Amino acid sequence: MRWQKGSAAICLGLTWLSLGQVSQAADDQRAREIVDQVARLFISQSSIATVEMQITKEDWQRNISMQFWSLGESNILVRILRPQEDAGTAILKVGNQTWCYLPKSNRTVKMPASMMMTSWMGSHFTLNDLVKENRLTNDYEIATSFEGQRDGVVVSEYTLTPKPAAVVVWGKITLEIRQADQMPVRQRYYDEDGKLVRELSFSEYKTVSGRLIPTRLVMRPLDKAGGKTSADGVVLVDGVMRPTDQTVEQTTITYENIIFDEPISEETFSRRNLKQ
Amino acid sequence: MGVLLLIKIGWRNLWRNPRGTLLTALALGLGLTLLLISLGLLDGSHEQMVGNGVRFDTGHVVIQAQGYQDTGSQELLLPEGVVSTTDGFLHSEAMKHNVRGVSPRLLASGLLSSAANADGVRIMGVIPKEERAVSLIPQRIVEGNYLNDDQQSGVVIGTELARKLDVKIGGKVVLMTQAAPQPDSKTTGEEGGEMQSTLLRVSGIFRTGIQAIDAHVIQLPLPEAQALLGVPDRVTQVAVLLEREGDSQMVARGLRKQLAGVPVEILPWRESMPTMAQMFLLDEAFNYVMNGVVLAMVGLGILNTILMRVLERRYEFGLCSALGLRPVQLAVMIIGESLALTAISLALGLVLGLSAHHYFATAGLDLRRFFHSGLPTAFDFDPIIYSRLSLTRIASSVGIVFLMATVISFYPALKAARTELPGALKVF
Amino acid sequence: MSGRLLRLAWRNLWRNPRRTLITMAAIGLGYAMLLFVACLMAGLRQQMIESGTGLVLSDMEVHAPDYYPNRPTQQTLGGRTGTDVSALVADIAADPRVQAASPRVCGYGLVSATHLSAGVQLLGVVPDQEQKITVLQTRMVKGSYLTGRMPKGVVIGDKLAATIGVKVGSEIVLLTPAADGSTGNDLYTVTGMFHTGLDATDRGLVLMSLASLQELLRLPPGRIHEVGIKLHDITAATTAAAALEVQLNKALPVRVQAWPELAPELADYVQFNHRVTFILFFIFFLLAVMGIVNTMLMAIIERTRELGMLMAVGMRPVQVVGLIVAETASLAGASLVLGAALGAPLLWYLQVHGLNLGGDRGAVSLAGVVVDPLWHGRQDFMAYTQAALGLAVTALVSALYPALRAARLRPTEALRKV
Repeated sequence: MRWQKGSAAICLGLTWLSLGQVSQAADDQRAREIVDQVARLFISQSSIATVEMQITKEDWQRNISMQFWSLGESNILVRILRPQEDAGTAILKVGNQTWCYLPKSNRTVKMPASMMMTSWMGSHFTLNDLVKENRLTNDYEIATSFEGQRDGVVVSEYTLTPKPAAVVVWGKITLEIRQADQMPVRQRYYDEDGKLVRELSFSEYKTVSGRLIPTRLVMRPLDKAGGKTSADGVVLVDGVMRPTDQTVEQTTITYENIIFDEPISEETFSRRNLKQ
Repeated sequence: MGVLLLIKIGWRNLWRNPRGTLLTALALGLGLTLLLISLGLLDGSHEQMVGNGVRFDTGHVVIQAQGYQDTGSQELLLPEGVVSTTDGFLHSEAMKHNVRGVSPRLLASGLLSSAANADGVRIMGVIPKEERAVSLIPQRIVEGNYLNDDQQSGVVIGTELARKLDVKIGGKVVLMTQAAPQPDSKTTGEEGGEMQSTLLRVSGIFRTGIQAIDAHVIQLPLPEAQALLGVPDRVTQVAVLLEREGDSQMVARGLRKQLAGVPVEILPWRESMPTMAQMFLLDEAFNYVMNGVVLAMVGLGILNTILMRVLERRYEFGLCSALGLRPVQLAVMIIGESLALTAISLALGLVLGLSAHHYFATAGLDLRRFFHSGLPTAFDFDPIIYSRLSLTRIASSVGIVFLMATVISFYPALKAARTELPGALKVF
Repeated sequence: MSGRLLRLAWRNLWRNPRRTLITMAAIGLGYAMLLFVACLMAGLRQQMIESGTGLVLSDMEVHAPDYYPNRPTQQTLGGRTGTDVSALVADIAADPRVQAASPRVCGYGLVSATHLSAGVQLLGVVPDQEQKITVLQTRMVKGSYLTGRMPKGVVIGDKLAATIGVKVGSEIVLLTPAADGSTGNDLYTVTGMFHTGLDATDRGLVLMSLASLQELLRLPPGRIHEVGIKLHDITAATTAAAALEVQLNKALPVRVQAWPELAPELADYVQFNHRVTFILFFIFFLLAVMGIVNTMLMAIIERTRELGMLMAVGMRPVQVVGLIVAETASLAGASLVLGAALGAPLLWYLQVHGLNLGGDRGAVSLAGVVVDPLWHGRQDFMAYTQAALGLAVTALVSALYPALRAARLRPTEALRKV
């Protein structure tokens, strides 16, 4: 698996930053509140979601359908529905242990910790991104860096600078939020030299289970190791060589539906259930 | 004539041709000199090979929790108190002259991430001052600085790792590892502890030339590692570096006595690094062959020189016989001469040899001057070899050369003593 | 004139046969010893190279241009469309320098059994062909090597087996990122375990059939990553690689790499070993100088009257120098011949029977390879010639001082000496 530009604490939409109480100027306080609100968009007691993931790489493209269950902060189950050859593959995380069920071999494999940081199914997200709950508080200083129109939408952009002791690899993160409904538009990750490493875009906002959330997220690697395009316009798409119109590497996650706070039994997160 | 007189005559014979005598003595002495130089350099490089090799790993002697050598499980830590006992013993009056360094270390596996990439690493939590005395990594810093005691969140990584993670000096990296299970946790034994991570800044980059180390080993301050792994005041091993490789067994035995009853394993390097031990044996065998050949060549040189010297004087000996010297007396005179000559040669050879040895022992022989290209960087080698000669070696070299010279001179002595008169007196 | 000079020189040598013989013996034996060491060291180097390349690496490898060193799964020979594998292998094997060639597929992933897993390197080979280029099959400690009869059989290192807790006959799962992005996974059976003595190999290599690995990686049959090659003469690997690359590039973009590039640690040691041997030569030359100078000086002193007489009847100083030099050269030449004659049986013995150093210690591991304690010699004619040339030069240099002394003799004084 190609090592992706994994980060220590980035979660696809479940949380980005959990911010604390250190407040500075009044508008920094306001900024903090807004970012906090956005960070909590996907947090809940429990969630069940159906997700489509489309991965575009230099040499191949794939579409994967999966189902997510989460309970509290440390129980996650992911099961793949499509494509046919991967259907039934499931990952279970309970506490510190992560297990993977492989239907083709009919075996359950225990994943070592290092697997958490490898790319999930070859995508630009890591398993860590998907399942790790964000426990960090007070990690970033927040300042408003821009307010105005971009692409015809009135947005506020906040720049998050990691505090000296924060355990994150990023030099800075910028978060662009629509002023009208506080919906996130774009999140950019920079290294310490100010180079843009990856970009997460949000779109297709819908009200689901009582909340307004972006249901489409696109992660794009932008540094020299990523951002590659197919050299000859032909790629393996779902196992078959086809011409491609996608020329840039990225991974798109679309929430088909998501239900928050519905009771889920603990039994769901058992190894027996993995094998379904 | 008395033996003493014969010997005195023998001695004076030598000085009738001072230039010739000195030349011969030089030739003989050079043999001893060469022997000493080659022995010194071969022994020195051999010791150095081990010295360097052990400094990339666990030193001459290592103390670990029982079973660590076989499993390498990061949960196996040294019982409390072992470090202080070990320290106390090794720094005591009796032992401290033998010891160059004592370094306690915490070892674990983890993942190091940067903004660009992530990779599996071998974590070493060390005390910088102690580690410097034991390991070679602090000596191989190519960029930035090694850890120092007051900078608590630095880390040193290898050039290969730095390249893969695309980080420079001062760059941020996050280290993630599985901490030890806490006694109050609800998890069962099999499950291990929490995943912990910490932020570190690259303070130095090293290059050892050994791929496995440059791509995967990182060193950070011991307290930081202990905090990360949730094991305050505990370490995995204590690595000890000695002045002389030969003391390894003795020190190990001493430590075993000190730590009797404690569930630890105390391993001299031959046991903790079996591949290194085998390499050492191979090099030793190689050295035997080399030494043997040098000795043989020196022997031939001596043979040539002495025989030449004696055989050329048949005329003179013939004259002696004609003048009334009996064969036995003639033989004694020749032997006396030989012994005297040998003594002078040995003295000369020893002086030259020991001065050369002293030079090589202090300044060293820089191999780079001989091998302009292609010195093996990856092969546990310093380009400078320091000569090492033990008293035993010196004594045995002198002894062997002396023996060779003496034995060789018997033949012509006997031969000359039975020289045919008319034949010897022939001038043309 | 020079012809006569040489004959005169030669006869002069034999006027004092004992002295000449002794010196010849000394120098000749010394030369024989140099031959011995050169032969032994050459054998050691050869053994190390074969050992280092023979297990897994092979003498030379053919890859797609961007394949090495990162080994991305996508970079197969012939790009994404692959190539006619059997034709390529046949093409390579047809080269006169090549002894055998074998196709391979490489990957990496996770091997898992029950609760334990480990990261490993996967190598897919065709057993019949692979055995012609490498010797891993001789290192099996349990079970058996790959056979065509068990396509889902794998062979792993004994240390890996211990780490994940499997035996011969155990079932394992291999997990790997496939070429189309899916997660390749399948079940395999451990048919055998090997022990090479190299930690990295014993802990991290899984050997399987080429077809099975292609299936696991979702690669079509035409796509392979490398062709391993065994040469007739491994010491000519680098030149053979360059030539083969030029030739193969006419049909397919490739890079051909010889073992020094693939195993630089080993190459470094071999070169170093080569050069250390020369230190021995140096010592020998030093001793030879002393011996020759000593002998010739004594000869001249003894022949002072004779030389004086020669000069008195018209021999010029330059000719005297010439004579002495000729004598020295003959002495050196004769010594060399003697040395070669003495050394030849020794060299033969070394090559055929070898020198056993500590046989009960077993094989040792050095600079990443495993070495037998039984060292076989190998003829290193280059070294032999260099030693001979060195000796010749040494002899000529040593002749200078005595020759000059002889040339400066004044006939009148010389004649008066008794």
